[in-house]
Amino acid sequence: MDFRPLNELERRHLITALRGNADGNRVLLMDRKDTSFAGSAEEVPDEEVINAIKSVPCHY
Amino acid sequence: MGLLDTEAGKRRLLSVDLPVIEKYNEGRDLEFRIRIQKVGSTLVLCYNLKPGHNVYSIETRLLSSYPTVPPETRIQTLLKHCPHLLEGQTLCLWRQGSTRTSNRWDPAKFTCIFAVQAAWRWLACYEIWHDTGEWPLPEAK
Repeated sequence: MDFRPLNELERRHLITALRGNADGNRVLLMDRKDTSFAGSAEEVPDEEVINAIKSVPCHY
Repeated sequence: MGLLDTEAGKRRLLSVDLPVIEKYNEGRDLEFRIRIQKVGSTLVLCYNLKPGHNVYSIETRLLSSYPTVPPETRIQTLLKHCPHLLEGQTLCLWRQGSTRTSNRWDPAKFTCIFAVQAAWRWLACYEIWHDTGEWPLPEAK
């Protein structure tokens, strides 16, 4: 794969969102068309529940 | 419970997992929808995710013992060797093989879409690790 990196701002936003999610106080939002990162939020709108990633209790 | 060969397994699929897959696919670009294949007694969900600028091809396997046993997710796209990646590019997500109490998969609470979302978050971490050499989240306790 020809890897295309995130720019500095995108990377900072994503790290902040991931850590907020891991702490359990933010949900990650996934774009409904192409699954790209669509920000984070404290509350999930009802229609976006399937695209919202609450704190996933994963191993890592 | 056999996922495809018992009434309880079929009921689980028809009432829980297939409806959430349909919901997930609604309004989604064709390339990013979940496609389902039956391989022996296993159901394989094939899909793409794009947490950053790169598209990853993924397979999540629902074994015949699903949902008691968590889904297994494998990245088909070639990755660099990184933390939390097992043999065959299988994602280390649920502490497979650990005790029931420490296993982070709960069949009563989670559906296969939860595994898709877990894969998305793993890949988002991978994109950051690829650039910085640091996994952005601490290992869960």
